[in-house]
Amino acid sequence: MSGPTHSLIEVRDLTIGYGDRVVLEGINFAVRRGEVFAILGASGSGKSTLLKHLIGLYPPMRGDVLISGASLVRAEGDERLRILRRFGVLYQSGALFGSLTTVENVRLPLDEFTDLPEAAKDLVALSKLRLVGLESAATKLPADLSGGMQKRAGIARAIVLDPCVLFLDEPSAGLDPITSAGLDALIRELARGLGITFVMVTHELASIYAVADRVVMLDPKARGIVAEGAPSWLREHAPEPWVRQFLNREVA
Amino acid sequence: MALKRPVDLPVRWDLSVQPEGTVRLAFAGELDNVSTPVAWPILERELAGIKVMRLEVDVRQLASCDSAGLALLYHLSVGGMTPGATANVTGLSPELQHLFGSFSTEDFRALQAHEPACSPLVEDVGAATWSWLCDLRQQVEFLGEVTLGVFKGLVRPRRLRWGEVLRVFELAGVNALPIVSLLTFLVGMVIAFESAQPLAELGAQVFVANLLGLVMSRELGPVMAAIMLAGRSGSAFAAELGTMKVNEELNALQTMGLSPVQFLVVQRVVAGILLAPVLTIYAMYAGLLGGIPVLLGLGFPLRMVLHQVQSGLHFGDLAEGLSKSIVFGGIVALVSCLRGLQTGEGPRAVGESTTRSVVSSILLIILADAVFAAVTYTLRK
Repeated sequence: MSGPTHSLIEVRDLTIGYGDRVVLEGINFAVRRGEVFAILGASGSGKSTLLKHLIGLYPPMRGDVLISGASLVRAEGDERLRILRRFGVLYQSGALFGSLTTVENVRLPLDEFTDLPEAAKDLVALSKLRLVGLESAATKLPADLSGGMQKRAGIARAIVLDPCVLFLDEPSAGLDPITSAGLDALIRELARGLGITFVMVTHELASIYAVADRVVMLDPKARGIVAEGAPSWLREHAPEPWVRQFLNREVA
Repeated sequence: MALKRPVDLPVRWDLSVQPEGTVRLAFAGELDNVSTPVAWPILERELAGIKVMRLEVDVRQLASCDSAGLALLYHLSVGGMTPGATANVTGLSPELQHLFGSFSTEDFRALQAHEPACSPLVEDVGAATWSWLCDLRQQVEFLGEVTLGVFKGLVRPRRLRWGEVLRVFELAGVNALPIVSLLTFLVGMVIAFESAQPLAELGAQVFVANLLGLVMSRELGPVMAAIMLAGRSGSAFAAELGTMKVNEELNALQTMGLSPVQFLVVQRVVAGILLAPVLTIYAMYAGLLGGIPVLLGLGFPLRMVLHQVQSGLHFGDLAEGLSKSIVFGGIVALVSCLRGLQTGEGPRAVGESTTRSVVSSILLIILADAVFAAVTYTLRK
């Protein structure tokens, strides 16, 4: 397996916010191909807002997001669609469609974007469900799945078109430690086994130490990035004391 | 008709038949979700014409392959296109081998064999009846709880949260005036037009004004106002309470020792009961105003029109319309709040309770109107 190489995502001088309120100003970072990258910060630091801008849900106030060298901010029409298909997104709640079974949820992008025969669509959808360990829940409705299973199904749907990047918004939120550890193991397996690049927003330290190759730490006061590096290195050597406290779970 | 391989297809394959039924299939190029849908039926047709005992699929020359391509390779490997033959795929990279390992015939067969659960008719009828009875019971309990809440409010008016009542008055009343004006004005106009012709044939066109006054005060004023209250404000009550339930705000109230009915519903019911007559009077006037231009156009002077309306209307007509409106207002507020509180779980729940609130409200308004019509007819005799 090839290790992390050149940048897959580049965030250049990005300023984001809501209305006139600036949340993050002039931030820069790059995500390398094949790595698990975490965006970390206290509640209200703009993690989820940043993620929404990275996946193109909101336009930034200034700056650019490049995915494989193509600008997501400036792209329009078919070009934008091509960029969007390069990544999958797992939302906090899983965002499964309640009226569809698990396998139908996973099949949906195949139905919409490919002309594969029906049997092929089922085979691909079921293979993704097997990858996330949900092959036995294929015909269940999302309401009949536990929180952890819904997130796994969300991951299966997100990877069904073989994206090169997977964005995860708080993947461990609301899960018990064992389910959360299972999800971390799945992320590791997909990253190492399939070479998928992961960008995750979280404040679950256990998950970060378990899966993240690198993290950026957001500071709401500075409205920017205060630290960047491997989580275990930052825990000991981060220049800002509060970052070390945060990563060591110490009370200030 | 034989399918031909398109010349610009990104994937190519070489099919060679060897002795003893061994077929070698070597792929090259890109086998992805664009090329696979085209390649699949062509390959199926090509293999159908060959007696295959053993299929050897070689993918070493493939530049890229995604899950769609792997589905085709898996389908080949399990004899999907060569029934009875043994097959194997060689040359997959470790990453693709990992993905290839996640395909399973058992899962596919289980999915094909799965049939959605379909309950028998008797069971459905029983479940629907039981659900209706439970709903009826909830309605009775809810009515009792709200009545008790209103009485408590009357005994201790300070606890009624009048600020909330005024807010509902503004949202459901003041903000609804433009749409109530427009609709009832147009309805008044339509009634005047529609009745003018038949009454003219009887030489009684002047009585269009009397008819308009009676219809607007007894019937259409209260009904139109109530229907608009149900569609515009009742749906908002249901959606608001439904969203609060989904967000667990109602649970929070209960754990604080507060009754959701006392805290949220009583104010809306009081506002609905007080608001409906006001809206109805407004609707009556707007309807009359809509008919007046038609009558003026028919050549009747304004003074005559007003005199006809005045002489045709009695206090009883107005009282009938207003008493109806009080009942209708109560129905809309009660039903909408009940449907809001009955909201289930999931993203569709709020939409469902909003729809149910409007449908139930309008149904009950028409039902109550029919009862009113029968009772008032009997009393007038």
